[in-house]
Amino acid sequence: MWKVTLKGLLGHKIRFALTAIAVTLGVAFMAGTLVLTDTIKVIFDDLVTSVTKGTDAYVRSRDVIDTAFGEQRDRVDAAVLGRVREIDGVREADGVLQFYAQVVGSDGRTIGNPMGGAPTLGLIWNPGSLTAWRLVEGRGPTENDEVVIDRASATTGRVAVGDTVSILSQQAPAKFRVSGIATFGNADSAAGATAALFTTPTAQFLSGAVGRYDGIQVAGEEGISQRELVARITAGLADPAVQVITGERLTKENQDAFAQQLQFFNVALLAFALIALFVGSFIIFNTFSIIVAQRTREIGLLRAMGASRRQITLSVLAEAVAVGLLASLAGLLAGIGLAVGLKALLGAVGIDIPNGATQILPRTVIVGLGLGTGITVVSALLPARRAAKIAPIEALRASTTSTTKRLVVRSIMGVLVTGAGVLALLFGLFGSGGVEAVGFGAFLIFLGVAVLLPVIARPVSRFIAWPLPRLRGTVGTLARENAARNPRRTASTAAALMIGVALVGFITIFASSIKASFASSIDQAFRSDYVIRTKGQGPPGLGGFSPALARQVAEVPGVEAAGGIRFAGADIEGRATFLGAADPATATTLFDIEPRRGDLSRLGPAQIAVSTEKMRDEGWRLGQSLAIRFPKGPANLTIAATYGAGQRAGLFDFLISTEAYDIHYTERLDSQVFVKLEPDADRSVVTVRIQRVLRDYPNAELQDQEEFKASQTAQVDQVLNLIYALLALAVIIALIGIANTLGLSIIERTSELGLLRAVGMTKRQLRSVIRWEAVIIALLGTLLGMVIAGFLGWSLVHSLADQGLSTFRAPARELVVIMVFAAFAGVIAAILPARRAAKIDILDAISYE
Amino acid sequence: MTTLTTTAAARAVAASKIYGSGDAEVRALDAIDVEFAAGAFTAIMGPSGSGKSTLLHVLAGLDTVTSGQVFIGDVDLSTLNEKQLTLVRRERLGFVFQAFNLVPTLDALENMTLPLALAGVKPDPEWLDTVVRTVGLADRLRNRPNQLSGGQQQRVAVARALLARPEIVFADEPTGNLDSRSGTEVLSFMRRAVDDHGQTIIMVTHDASAAAYADRVVFLADGRIIDELIDPTAAAVFDRMKTLGG
Repeated sequence: MWKVTLKGLLGHKIRFALTAIAVTLGVAFMAGTLVLTDTIKVIFDDLVTSVTKGTDAYVRSRDVIDTAFGEQRDRVDAAVLGRVREIDGVREADGVLQFYAQVVGSDGRTIGNPMGGAPTLGLIWNPGSLTAWRLVEGRGPTENDEVVIDRASATTGRVAVGDTVSILSQQAPAKFRVSGIATFGNADSAAGATAALFTTPTAQFLSGAVGRYDGIQVAGEEGISQRELVARITAGLADPAVQVITGERLTKENQDAFAQQLQFFNVALLAFALIALFVGSFIIFNTFSIIVAQRTREIGLLRAMGASRRQITLSVLAEAVAVGLLASLAGLLAGIGLAVGLKALLGAVGIDIPNGATQILPRTVIVGLGLGTGITVVSALLPARRAAKIAPIEALRASTTSTTKRLVVRSIMGVLVTGAGVLALLFGLFGSGGVEAVGFGAFLIFLGVAVLLPVIARPVSRFIAWPLPRLRGTVGTLARENAARNPRRTASTAAALMIGVALVGFITIFASSIKASFASSIDQAFRSDYVIRTKGQGPPGLGGFSPALARQVAEVPGVEAAGGIRFAGADIEGRATFLGAADPATATTLFDIEPRRGDLSRLGPAQIAVSTEKMRDEGWRLGQSLAIRFPKGPANLTIAATYGAGQRAGLFDFLISTEAYDIHYTERLDSQVFVKLEPDADRSVVTVRIQRVLRDYPNAELQDQEEFKASQTAQVDQVLNLIYALLALAVIIALIGIANTLGLSIIERTSELGLLRAVGMTKRQLRSVIRWEAVIIALLGTLLGMVIAGFLGWSLVHSLADQGLSTFRAPARELVVIMVFAAFAGVIAAILPARRAAKIDILDAISYE
Repeated sequence: MTTLTTTAAARAVAASKIYGSGDAEVRALDAIDVEFAAGAFTAIMGPSGSGKSTLLHVLAGLDTVTSGQVFIGDVDLSTLNEKQLTLVRRERLGFVFQAFNLVPTLDALENMTLPLALAGVKPDPEWLDTVVRTVGLADRLRNRPNQLSGGQQQRVAVARALLARPEIVFADEPTGNLDSRSGTEVLSFMRRAVDDHGQTIIMVTHDASAAAYADRVVFLADGRIIDELIDPTAAAVFDRMKTLGG
């Protein structure tokens, strides 16, 4: 029996090779993702370890709040450092600070982009043994206008020791003399982040943390354990406001925080790998089904000779195991290569990852081989069962009759599964099911529609192809009938493409809706002439402008008003959220957030404005006091005004004055600065004057309303393109599936094709028949994919309505492009099968036995 | 289409077909000279491996000769490329095979008109009507092949071959898969096409009673023509075949 299996494999090399590709690509993607993230994790774990190497204990504030931007911790008083140093058993202690500081290179351009890549860090230069920074040139900063920068920045910005550089921070841009250049351990930079290291007073000034530190790193004396040291410091300080942890725990916390971020990235990539494998499983299923059908006589003969059903099933499954294992192995190897490629892809979109040894964990090998083989075997289960049902008598029958089973059961099953999928999806989106329910729902919908597809494949493909006979005559009729003749086969081929197209279409609709929502909220809120924004975009706190910029621009003659807007995390009434801050005096001039009750322009330091929606949702009243926890401590602010354009309109639900912000936050970075010109000002003259101010801020970009909109949507497009690239894999696998099915069908139809050639069909006409059949299958998959995409997009957009996704937009042009592209891809998938069909030898085809 | 120079619808001149080389060389056709008269029904007979099918294939432009020439009318097939051969088949010849004669996705009428449709030509409605009536399938035109009996399928195939009014219809064991009653139906139909419409038919068969429907029987053995009978009877053909050992 095993010999038969082996012969079966060798006898169908090409069809199995195509099946294998479907598995190989999926496994490669998955293995590549695992290898890449494992590699990144090891690199960053090492990095984190080296940052805290030598730290035996860490002193920090006990006050920590949960906000929409993550955990935020208060700073500790600088006086604590002196007290720590006096505690018995402490050998060395340094205060640390980490803040936004961006060095401007000798070419006038900023070094590093915190918005798209690694952060640009300002740090305290600590000369002791606790730091990982090593001077390679010059000396540490001794004066307050001196700075040490990392070697990578020095190289990029062409900066040498003794040069004067400008540094951007939340203070006005200032000049510093480069006193030295340092490496991070042996690396030129700390994992791609730029670093500017200052004296303690300078660092405190630049970060707005005068007299404070983020925390204090402590090294203990020889022979004192970390726990012992922590106990002594805790006792020695006897300060309920501070918390002392061991160096090990600090390292662990940092690693965990990073691992969590990486996990998100990992899951996102793995999701695409699973999609590819899911699509691939349809192709495996199809290949095995067709092969079993083609081998009916052979299997019947084996049964007649005494092979048991079990043996038949096992022989088909053994083929699946062999194919799956080989394909997964190839995928694993390809994946390791792909990890390098993915790293480059991430680099291309601004996510730089430092170099390190490629990590191939046993888990990667096991998961890769296991999943690849498992999916192949599972996909071959039904075909194997079908093979076992073949009766010995079938060996004697001349031709295989395709049994059209009752479709009622299938219809009911398909409807049930699809319905369950829709319910799970809606539960995930609108209920409390979460992202897992959404994913599972989408999976069930795909599966359900795939089950239903054979029922509707014939009428729908006939419908798609109705103009063909008129356009292409007999060639068209034949293509249409061929596509419709084996609905089950056409269906599972189209289903693979359907999934790919559904996801592409869905993401297109989703992105369009985001862009449309952005545009409408900008159109609505934008009342100024210009906005000054940072080049690139990222989460707040990572970068922005010193408030000095808005002040300077406001003083430009011809400018009526200029005001910055800031975003920050806060805990309001026990809920992690975020708020905006602006100068109340200019806010209503610069942006329209639809003021309702109260007077926004006179918002005081102890007051807050809340969107009307939030007021309604929470049942709050004007004049009510809200308990808010800021990083610097708790405070009660009174609701003094309401406005209409909240988060639902793409803005924010809470607004405080800049004055209040300065009390509760140490960071003072404006995310954007809005500028309104005087009505009679000469626009071009004033613009030149503003540009002159911006010369000191090389990270700033002046944009009018249209440019602002364009740059916002450009960011969405960038992410969209990345997702397209990742989804391309699933679509390619689906196209391989079309090629595979057509190829197998052609083998089946050899005599028919030979007959057509004999009675006068030209090779060109024959190729055309195959091509059109491919186009019909591709369009069938695309059409259904689009319907699902529309549904998924519509439901996701509506579930996110309160997150600022105000507009559902299905972009007709893009969706038509996808349709045309799919039809064209069908033509490409048909190239090889068509060529093969044209090569059929007429005599071979029409001779019998 | 008649020509002044010759009345032969098809002929082979010193036509050889050789497979393999050296010891393994097989001469399927060995310098055959033969003519097939227009308006006649000719049967080619011979034992297995005599080269009768190969002769039919090279005459029909489905295969090429190793040496010598093959003419359809005045056209030397050996000078034509693949595309031209396809067009000759489509426009000047008709085919009936033993099996796989019909395209399963097309109905009977579509199968009949297939060569014309491929050439982008509309069938002559009167002639179509005549053929359909002669085949006796007027009520089954919209049926797919799998809804037709074997005899009906072969009749559709013959109708297809006749519909384009080809110069020659080639039939390769057209009754090989049929019971005798259906075989008789198909053969009588072919005979009528010759008698009533002057159709030229060349048929390969190994069935003496089928050959008896022909005007002339050509006997092949070892790639050579060894004999022929004019106006044969089944008995005469059968006797002749016995001596050939077929």
